[in-house]
Amino acid sequence: MGAGPVRLTRIRLTGRGGQGIMLAGAILADAAMRDGRHVTETQEYGPEARLGATKAEVILSDAPIAFPEVGQADILVCLSRDGFLKYGGRIVPGGLRLVEETSVSEEALDRDLCRFPWRERARHLGLELTMNVMAIGTLQAVTGVVSEESLEAVIRERVKAAYVEANLTALREGERLGSGVRAPVVSPEGKRREGSRHGFNDLQ
Amino acid sequence: MALRMTMGNEAAAMGALAAGCDFFAGYPITPATEILEEMGRRLPARGGVFLQMEDELAAMAAVIGAAWGGARAMTATSGPGFSLMQEHIGYAALTQTPCVVVDAQRGGPSTGLPTLPAQGDVMQARFGAHGDRPAIVLTASSVWEAYAATRQAFALAERHRTPVVVLLDAVIAHMREPVEIFDLPPPGRAPWPGSRTTKPPFGRHPFAPFGGGRDPIVVTGLSHGEDGLPTTGSGQAAERILKDSITAIAHDPELASGVEGFYLDDARWAVVAYGITARAAQAAVESLRAAGVPVGLLKLHVLWPLPEAALIHLADRVDGILVAELNLGQLVMPIRAAVAGRTPVEFVGRADGLLLAPEEIGARLRTGSGSVVTEQGGRRDA
Repeated sequence: MGAGPVRLTRIRLTGRGGQGIMLAGAILADAAMRDGRHVTETQEYGPEARLGATKAEVILSDAPIAFPEVGQADILVCLSRDGFLKYGGRIVPGGLRLVEETSVSEEALDRDLCRFPWRERARHLGLELTMNVMAIGTLQAVTGVVSEESLEAVIRERVKAAYVEANLTALREGERLGSGVRAPVVSPEGKRREGSRHGFNDLQ
Repeated sequence: MALRMTMGNEAAAMGALAAGCDFFAGYPITPATEILEEMGRRLPARGGVFLQMEDELAAMAAVIGAAWGGARAMTATSGPGFSLMQEHIGYAALTQTPCVVVDAQRGGPSTGLPTLPAQGDVMQARFGAHGDRPAIVLTASSVWEAYAATRQAFALAERHRTPVVVLLDAVIAHMREPVEIFDLPPPGRAPWPGSRTTKPPFGRHPFAPFGGGRDPIVVTGLSHGEDGLPTTGSGQAAERILKDSITAIAHDPELASGVEGFYLDDARWAVVAYGITARAAQAAVESLRAAGVPVGLLKLHVLWPLPEAALIHLADRVDGILVAELNLGQLVMPIRAAVAGRTPVEFVGRADGLLLAPEEIGARLRTGSGSVVTEQGGRRDA
């Protein structure tokens, strides 16, 4: 908004109730705060006790954030099909979309999506519920919008002691999945270009 | 500076504890439940009392009873529960019972849009109870302000001996922002200054004070005279008490100064907003200012009593006012009345569970200010 370029990243996390989207948003926002960024985190869910599409929105900025709602997101992280259908649309042209591979239908496959087997890997590691943290790990590896150290610190602090190691394992697995990805990212002018692993911040 | 990501509801609970709140009774409801949960976690450990009641009527009744016993008492709810509480809020007002009600607003009426934000309880917070009464209603547009407003609510309730409402909305209630870690006072029972042990009877009216002592306490839903006893026949004494209370609130400088200005010095048009909508309005104003459009924002921290002096002062200096709120036109009505034709008052609002976006507010501000700017310098924004 104000004069001069401000590094600003708008992230939308979406999935279905019970997948830990709210917690993922809280972890991401907390880590960004530890990195010294200005940050807001908002959330939306339906009246259902469980299931139903949910979203958490995190804005990271180098300046105070006036309006905490994300209109067009720079980055979408999606864990479920209903989340994709309800909240997957409002993305800047060419924005980065990291999605769970089973959450998009066949007909959407030709779109420019980065698909990851978070669910299968989380199941394989023994705790499907850590899929949310795995996705955050991938987001970290692909974009570098938050530091690995801050994410680890937040998980150690926020997650119940018995589940800390499982979540750290999921975080690292997510980072491994994302480490080879050269994500298409968008410059402020809207031109698409290949991003380096830590390129996303630099482009903002 | 130690920062902590904090949810608005959590901040409201911390504000209450910082003010010495030692009693909470409530009934869970989205989007206010985290206040109840936070009080349930913290109050017993601090020697306070936490009660989950069977419904919101009982919750508000328990709060009033606790205040009579000398407690700093609070409840928290959302629209449907707030409706149920109106009977007892009126009772608290008539019995001059200091207490705090947090209402995290969601889409209504009735069950409505139970998880989505709204600002539709603004008039209910003022006029929801029958009869005339004094009313203080605060609001917040950030996590920090949710803390500050709730803390302030206790001081105002105590000073004016009346229920004070803090209006949040679903977004502010559930939003997380970094705030400085709150220092809480040491746990312990801090009696209201109005209690028998610390203060002579309340204000000008020697209505029986609350909070212990051996003397019998008279509390009644009948209008009372200055002796605290029910009035029979003439209601003049009761009316005088109401009038004095309403006047005292209208002249409280702390309430009158419950506004905050952004870019108002040379603004031709100003948006008036509060709560989450003030955040959108601020973004809109910053964006338009960057484009050279002279607009500003008057953000309200106090909704009732309406900060009329500030609004009139603003109206005398701008070419128009845009009121933005998440309802179909509530606070705009008394604002129009206060401005009384000094300047045009436009309205933008919605009640579909979505937020007003900065672009939406900005477009309306451009429409308002555009013609003016065109006359001055050929600029055309509208």
